[in-house]
Amino acid sequence: MSSIKKKKHVSKKNKKAWRKYCDITDVEEFLEDQRLEERLGKFDVKPDSELFVVDTGGEIKTEEDVKPLSAKLLKRANLPATPKCYEVLLPSSKVPDPNAKRNIVKQIGSKPTALSKLTEKRRFEKGVYQKKIELARKNRRIALDKKRKNKQIKQNFGLDLWGNDLPEAKGIPETLVDEFIPPEAQIHNVLPEQRLRPKPPLSKTLMTRTAVERPHPGVSYNPSFQEHQELLQEVVNHEKKMMKKEAHLLRVTNGMFRKVTPQEKENQWKEEMTMGLPQPHNPATNPSDSETDNEYKAINPPVKNKKKDHKARRKQRERIEERERLKREKINKKKITDIYKLRKLETLITKKEKRDALTRSKRAVKKAVTAETAVPKINAHKTPLKEPDFVSPEQLSGDLRKINSTTNLLRDRFESLQRRGALAASKVMMKKKRKLKAYFKAGHKVTENDIQRYVDKKAGKVSKKKTKLLKA
Amino acid sequence: MVSKKKKKYSTGEGAQFMTRKAALKKLQLSLKDFRRICILKGIYPREPRNRKRAQKGAGGIKTLYHTKDIKFLLHEPIIWKLRDLKVYQQKIRRARAMKNYPLMRKYFRDYPEINIDHIVKERYPTFVDALRDLDDCLTLCFLFSTFPSLKKVPRDQSMLCRRLTVEFMHAVITAKALRKVFVSVKGYYYQVEFEGQTITWIAPHHFSFQPQSKDEVDFKIMSTFVEFYTMMLGFVNFKLYHSLNLVYPPKLTAAFNSETDKELIDEHAYVSERIAAMNMSLARITGANEVEELPEIDIFHTEDEDPQKLEEAKLEAEKVKKLKTMFKGLKFFLNREVPREPLVFIIRCFGGEVSWDKDHFVGATFDETDESIAYQIVDRPSMEKKYLSRYYVQPQWVFDSVNVRTLLPINKYLMGAVLPPHLSPFVDKTKDQVYMPPEEKALNNPDFKPLDDDQSNSEIEEASDEDNEDKDNEEEDAEEALTKQYQQEVEQDSPSEEEDADDDVDPEKKKIAKEKKKAMAVTSGVPFKENPYKKEIEDKQAFRLREKLVRKKHRNLYKSMKAGQEKRKKEIWLLRKKRRLHDEKVKEEKKTEKRKQKMQILEAASV
Repeated sequence: MSSIKKKKHVSKKNKKAWRKYCDITDVEEFLEDQRLEERLGKFDVKPDSELFVVDTGGEIKTEEDVKPLSAKLLKRANLPATPKCYEVLLPSSKVPDPNAKRNIVKQIGSKPTALSKLTEKRRFEKGVYQKKIELARKNRRIALDKKRKNKQIKQNFGLDLWGNDLPEAKGIPETLVDEFIPPEAQIHNVLPEQRLRPKPPLSKTLMTRTAVERPHPGVSYNPSFQEHQELLQEVVNHEKKMMKKEAHLLRVTNGMFRKVTPQEKENQWKEEMTMGLPQPHNPATNPSDSETDNEYKAINPPVKNKKKDHKARRKQRERIEERERLKREKINKKKITDIYKLRKLETLITKKEKRDALTRSKRAVKKAVTAETAVPKINAHKTPLKEPDFVSPEQLSGDLRKINSTTNLLRDRFESLQRRGALAASKVMMKKKRKLKAYFKAGHKVTENDIQRYVDKKAGKVSKKKTKLLKA
Repeated sequence: MVSKKKKKYSTGEGAQFMTRKAALKKLQLSLKDFRRICILKGIYPREPRNRKRAQKGAGGIKTLYHTKDIKFLLHEPIIWKLRDLKVYQQKIRRARAMKNYPLMRKYFRDYPEINIDHIVKERYPTFVDALRDLDDCLTLCFLFSTFPSLKKVPRDQSMLCRRLTVEFMHAVITAKALRKVFVSVKGYYYQVEFEGQTITWIAPHHFSFQPQSKDEVDFKIMSTFVEFYTMMLGFVNFKLYHSLNLVYPPKLTAAFNSETDKELIDEHAYVSERIAAMNMSLARITGANEVEELPEIDIFHTEDEDPQKLEEAKLEAEKVKKLKTMFKGLKFFLNREVPREPLVFIIRCFGGEVSWDKDHFVGATFDETDESIAYQIVDRPSMEKKYLSRYYVQPQWVFDSVNVRTLLPINKYLMGAVLPPHLSPFVDKTKDQVYMPPEEKALNNPDFKPLDDDQSNSEIEEASDEDNEDKDNEEEDAEEALTKQYQQEVEQDSPSEEEDADDDVDPEKKKIAKEKKKAMAVTSGVPFKENPYKKEIEDKQAFRLREKLVRKKHRNLYKSMKAGQEKRKKEIWLLRKKRRLHDEKVKEEKKTEKRKQKMQILEAASV
């Protein structure tokens, strides 16, 4: 320990303190050396061949235990770097700008001065720039045409989206798809193929339900009699079901409530409103009034705390006990009879279980069937039920020229999307046109004319409205 | 220490779903933009299993999205474009408000377009995926191609739909991919087959435009769907044209170039241009040959495959091959009153040539006076001038022929005839247990011959014929019996002769020799004869054993299936019996009538 230490007086009173502050490293080192020599033999006695080794391997590189970047990460790390092909364009000089805070002086003429503006204007009026303007116009037209052409190319779909020669298909980043970048450089920067976030699968209804359903053979323009009858039967069944549903709804809502005529309703209302008010005296309605001698009498007699005597209590207790005894007796009797009834009970139970199982399975089947065709509930609005395509027999001409369909194909598509769960059912709300109210803004510069104009305008509007009304 | 309390709905179904409002907030988009991007990217609202939990305890019914879906949207580069568009729209609005109309016009002119082809690629990673989802796309595009410019639909959209649909139809024509047609009241159902995928779509009848009421359909949403679908159809067309060695974009008539679209205002002119475009043949890539016909199906013998199924597939392939060249070399002429678009499409699909009246519509290729025309399609009861060299048939003949896959006999479809019903080819093949009257069978299968066909044809000699047949049968029977007897006799004779020859040798020795011979002799092998009846019985028993192995889980289902089959079989049997009885009765009546007539004639002759 050769560190330079400020000498400090310390007490070496105890053995412990002595040991602590006495430097014995040199002694220990010496002893260690000695022990080593004893173990391995003396250093100067040993031959050179034992002490030295001829280095034949060369210098060994010390390997750092830094984790190597994955190929994906390496590529991503290299992405922001400027492509190799652009490096020529960068300044190659290592000498930095001696004046870092150099002011960039604009060249003369880059910014028009007041004077130059004047001269330019004068020259423009003279017609010096006519040619320039024409040239500029021409250039602009060319640029526009190019733009339009580009748009058209997009409409022409001139690209094999599912082919392999598409740069996007190879995973080349969009920033590197440029005509100036050679394909080697593009391929050099191919991104990993796997998407960062895969697209979650579509819902089941969308995957399984067909977009264009098989048409019923009865909707042919010239159907066979049997098939058309089948279709009609289907429509009738559908309609019947709907009617039944409607009738049920009516029964459950409108039909459930008592009906009251308006006269009765008014009477009821009158009665309710006059409840508790002093009625005009009518001796005919309650003649008993005269008999009570004006004495106050409550409608309910006052409650009295009448105590039961012993006898009554006993009787009550006895009654309860008797009832209990009879009940128990009955139960005991039933227990005995049940033993004889065991078989019957068993059959009863099995029967009930069977019935329950049957109903359960039936319900499950029904549920599965409805779930198969049910419209997914996405919104508070309801998607209209699918109605069978209906062709009334009068409309059927069996002639291609006289076909007239009642179905709206666009609506059919719209509802099909809803039924598959691609769209939420919706009610299209009509936008109301906002009515703008016109005000006369009074300012300090209002003249008589302004007021007159405003009044006239208003009067004109009113008169127009009136004429409209009159016409209607 | 108590662990930190878990917040409600931070896991499970509550965390899986997101309301639309929350999604809007997360994506920083307006509702309009959100709707658009959802349709473009194919992200749709979901129905949760437990709504209460998914809505984090809130009541009512809200539109819910998967959180994963929204996170997926978050990575879409188009979102940034939409945000930029918002700024652009503000600029336009400002220019309008400031009444700086030239600037506004400039903004409109340079309106940035959103490129969505990468979305098409993302949603349909392979071409087959795109083909599989083409039903909806085609139906909507065909529908929108009939629309005039509407308020909520971009101006060029219906024009683009028109172009793309015609291009697609051309691809179908050159690939000869059409398989089925059905004329319904709703429209024409077409089914085509590309790369093993069947695509079905509806093309509407051509009426004059019917006004759509506003409260039924949200045009804006449908137009967004169409925006995506046109993009998809364009790329599909490109790929199809390339696989068919055609030049894309094809040079169709002048009306389909976008520069001249303003000139054609008349609806009828549009339609006739469209049909004329379909009647053109497309330019092929130079140096490319015709698409070579697919070779016949090679049969690879695998153990698990049913030979019957293989045979069926082979038959089907043969039929399709026949269908593809059904109208080849035939010339068709369409009369004025016939719906031209479907007919031109169908006839050209199977190699026919079509033309129409040159004076009425553009694009006619040959005149009505052409003697080589094989069929003229008419839809009127009679015509003044008729050519002897051609058949005059009604349009339904074409549709029915396609569905049956052969040229049907024209006698039922001649001009003015009462047409047989137009049956749907889209019948469920799994429902094969249906009673089919012999007429329908004959229509579906031209080779089918009803059992009593020849009898009905030769009605006059029926009575005598039957007797003759009976006699013939008897004679044959007698002959057979004779030959049998003879053979038996021969067999009996042959051993007896042998015995006669060896009569004089010692009987004991003979016996020993015989026994030895018996031990040594090689008896002639008897070919194993399968008793078909016995085999049937064995098969039945094996089947019953297998039936017993049906799991308990499926037993009820199996039973109900079997019962249904039995029921249907019984129904068919009953209907057939009824038909047979009816036919017999009719025949009997006819016979008696004829006899009566004969008798009358005879009586008259005798008197």
